[in-house]
Formats: sequence, C-alpha cells, structure tokens
Amino acid sequence: MNIFNREMRANYKSLLVWALIIAGFNVMVLSIYPSFAADSAKLAALLGAYPEQLLKVFGLDRLNLGDPLGFYGTEIYFMVLLFGSIFAAILGASLLAKEEDDKTIEFLLARPVTRAHVLADKILTYVVCIVGFNILVGALSYAAFAMLVTQAYSVKALLLLLVAPVFVHLTFASLGFLTALFFTRRRAVYSVTIGLVVGLYFLGAVALMARGVEWLKWLSPFQYVDAANIVTSQSISVVNVLVLLAVNVAAVAATYALYRRRDIMV
Amino acid sequence: MAVIETEHLRKYYRRSRGIEDVTLRVEEGDIFGFIGPNGAGKSTTIRTLLNYIFPTGGTARIFGLDVVEDSAKIRADVGYLPGEVGYYDDMSAEALLQYSASFYRGGYREHRARINELLDIFELDRRRKIHALSMGNKKKVGIIQALLHRPRLLILDEPTSGLDPLMQTRLFEVLAGENQRGATIFFSSHVLSEVQRFCHRVAIIKEGSILRVEDMGKLRHGHFLKAKVVFRREGEREAQAGVLDLPGVIHRATDGRTVEVLFNGDVNGLVRHLAGHDLESVWLEEPPLEEVFLHYYEKEGRQQ
Repeated sequence: MNIFNREMRANYKSLLVWALIIAGFNVMVLSIYPSFAADSAKLAALLGAYPEQLLKVFGLDRLNLGDPLGFYGTEIYFMVLLFGSIFAAILGASLLAKEEDDKTIEFLLARPVTRAHVLADKILTYVVCIVGFNILVGALSYAAFAMLVTQAYSVKALLLLLVAPVFVHLTFASLGFLTALFFTRRRAVYSVTIGLVVGLYFLGAVALMARGVEWLKWLSPFQYVDAANIVTSQSISVVNVLVLLAVNVAAVAATYALYRRRDIMV
Repeated sequence: MAVIETEHLRKYYRRSRGIEDVTLRVEEGDIFGFIGPNGAGKSTTIRTLLNYIFPTGGTARIFGLDVVEDSAKIRADVGYLPGEVGYYDDMSAEALLQYSASFYRGGYREHRARINELLDIFELDRRRKIHALSMGNKKKVGIIQALLHRPRLLILDEPTSGLDPLMQTRLFEVLAGENQRGATIFFSSHVLSEVQRFCHRVAIIKEGSILRVEDMGKLRHGHFLKAKVVFRREGEREAQAGVLDLPGVIHRATDGRTVEVLFNGDVNGLVRHLAGHDLESVWLEEPPLEEVFLHYYEKEGRQQ
C-alpha cells in the first residue's frame, strides 16, 4: 500500500484541479439553462433548420434542449466525458511513464516488491482517483441541478448521467496505462493518449454523420454511454458497460503480461 | 557460501551486446571490485542482477535464489546505489528515505535510528527537496537509501563519483563497518586506486566477458613490478634488448637510453642482467593497478 499512498499524495492535487474546473464549468453552463428553457420553442425552430445527421451527433435528434436532462445531455455531458477522459488518460499514462522518465523506477524496483505489486498499487491509484473525480463532479453537478433547475426532471436519469462517464474514464485510464509501456518519455505518451481520446471522440461523431459506417461508432468508448440512450431509456445498457469493462480487463492483462518481462531501460 | 553466482550470463538487446559471458562467484563477506572500461558491461551485469533487465542466456543467483524468479525476495536484503541517481523530485530527502524504509521489514520506525545516524555521518540536510540538491548531495541520498536497512549485500555502481574526497573517505569507513558486520560488497568502478585500496578480489570485464578474477593481495604484492632503466650511453641495443626479452615481461617501451618494462616474474633475473651494464639509474616500483589492467587488455587484445 505504500506505493498507493505515495501516488495518491502525488496525484490528489491535479485530481482536485481537474474536478473543480469541470464541475465549475457544469455549474456555469447550467446557470444559463433557465433562459434556454424560456425560449425553447424558438430554439426548436432554429435547430429544425440543421441537417438531421448533425443533430444526431449531439443527440438532438432524440433530446430536447428545452428539457433539463436534454440540456444537460447535449451541452454538458459530453464535456464531462471528453475532458474527464483526457484527465483519466493522462493519469493512467503518467503512473508508469513518470517513473521511467525520471529514472525513479530504478529506485522503486530496488525495493523488495514484485512488478505485479507495483502495477496493482498503480491501478488502484487510478481507479480510486477516477471514482473520486466522478463523485466530486457528480455531487457538485447534482447540487447545481437541484438549486438552478426548477422544471421537473427524472432524478434517476440524472443520476445515471452522472455515473455513466466513470466507465469511459476508467477505460481511457487503462488504455493510457498500457500505452505508457511503449514509450519512456512522458511527453510522447501524453501526446499519444490525448490523441487517442480526442481521435476516438471524433470517430464516434463522424460515424454518426457519415452514411453507412455507423458500425464504426462502436470503436469509440464514448458511444457506449450515449446520453440520448440513457435519458430516453432511463437506463445504462448493461451490455455496453460490460464491453467497456472487458476492454479494461484486456488492457490491464496486456500490461501485466508485458511488464512482467519488460527490460527497464532508463 | 556464494552470495552472487553467475554462470555464462549473457544479455543481448536485439542484436547489440550488453554482456557476452559473465561467470562470477562472490563469497559472503567479500569486498568484490568490478572494473572495466566504459561500455564493457559493468552496468548491464548489475542491472541483470537486480532484474531490471532479463538475461538472454545463462543464470544468475543471489543468496542461492534465481534473480529472475525470486527477485523481490532477494531485494529485501540488497542495497543498491545506482551510478546515475534518479529520485522523486517533489520529496524531501527525509520523505524519500522514509518512503524507502517503508518497504523493508519493520518499516520506517524500525530504521529511523539508522537513517538519522547516516544523515549525520554524511552531513545531509534532510529537509531539502530532492530537486534542490546538488549532484553530490543526491549521491548521499542514494548512499543512505542503499544502507538504511542493513542489507546483506551491497551493490554499488560507481559509488564515489560526484562525492568530494572527505565524503569518499566517510563512505569507505561506513562500507568497511558494513563489511565487518558481515555484509558482502560488490562494486563497480573505473577509479582503480579505490578498488586497489578497498577490495579483496576484483573481476575485470572487457567487451562483455570476464577477463579474469584476481585476488587483490596477489596483484598488489610481489607479482607485478615496474622497472625503469636508464643506460649511461645510447646505442646499447643489445643490453636493452636483453631487458626486453627477460622472462615475464608483459609490457615494454624504449626511448633513447631509457627502457621501461612492466613485468610479472623473478626480479633476480633482471638485477643479474643489469649488473653487467653501465647504468645511469634504475627505478623499481609496484605498478599502479591501472597499468597492470591496461596491459591485461593489451595482451588479451593481441591474442585475439
């Protein structure tokens, strides 16, 4: 547990900064919702002029901007998903990349710990950080909703929207963790993992817009927790969550297998 | 009992050589020097012993345990000082040492007294952040983290580089104490004089293979002699050639009236030979190890 403790101490500040900035953004955007709600008829007319494919990307084919959850699902939810995933990917990637970049891995592996133990503590670190991040962002967003939104909304659907991103965040953290094994410089691995997050986000969007390639969206983790689906069905697809968790398990298993025989070169 | 035992240890990084064939046996209580030029494979050997890298051939055991299979168990009783030190920049020296101690039996509480003692010996400011420390002070942090848990085996990679002479002396005092307590010390160096002073035995590595393992006593006493002879007149070719051809001469140089030889044989033959000639002066001295090893290399190189 001492590696976990050390990592938590090293990472909690950046966790707080990311969570507070994203939660603050949520509160800010949410505070303009009442004026949206007032003019929702005009908005609907305006959006009607957009091509359907584009509306689909934002979930506006099924969600209504004038509705509280529709507003959250289209204007805020994707920011939590996207920026939270960038945070998660950097976190996951940094846990091993920093040690090799700073040559501290030699210090760590001179102690009586197995490599599996090192990985276990670091995985625990990112899981705890990401869950903590989502609890913080979720709690603040929930409180903002309760204070700012006067219209009726389904609390269950809201809670689902607040919980769903955690699965995507974990997935990107695990992918970042694995990616770090292929680079020893942290800048390189950060660029690659951020590129992966943003790239997969746009892949999901493009898959929805272009005709005939909709199946491509399943390559994008973001599509597994689509806001429109969650709000309209009042549930998170269990199959989708299992798929994301399976990706996590596969990434972690690959990391173990590779790290167990890795030559540490610093 | 052998503390370190390697057999035909080999490490290749894809095609490039790390080490070719390292067979070593370091006994308990030994102070074992490991020397060779840069790139010979000293660090590769050490990194294999610590299981940072995986051997591509041969075996290595520490305390009788396989270095790949039982690495974590082995490291509970090993202290390692890397040549180039990398520690967590955001920690203070003290926090780093606490973190280090937390991994060993008994944790920080068990090792606090020893840490304090070592901090005093090496005059290290415990509150300084690692990133604010000079190279020499970082080295001290490295030394203390290697020693704090009273390991049975110390593996030191260039331990004195970056340390001022006073601290080097203290380091060797502390190491001598550890050795008296029973610790085995394995250290790599290219500062031959410290190897000469401190080690019981020494292994010489060149181009990835162990050239030989020598008893320090044997090397230091009797066997090697360096002679410099200055003849009174130039042109005593025959006499000069006589010196050069004496049995045991392993290195020679002539310059005008001067002949220098490094030899590993019977001094009487040399003295008898010189007695018949007109000399200006003769120096006989114990050669520094640097020269002895240098000529090992030359000889081995010629034989290949």
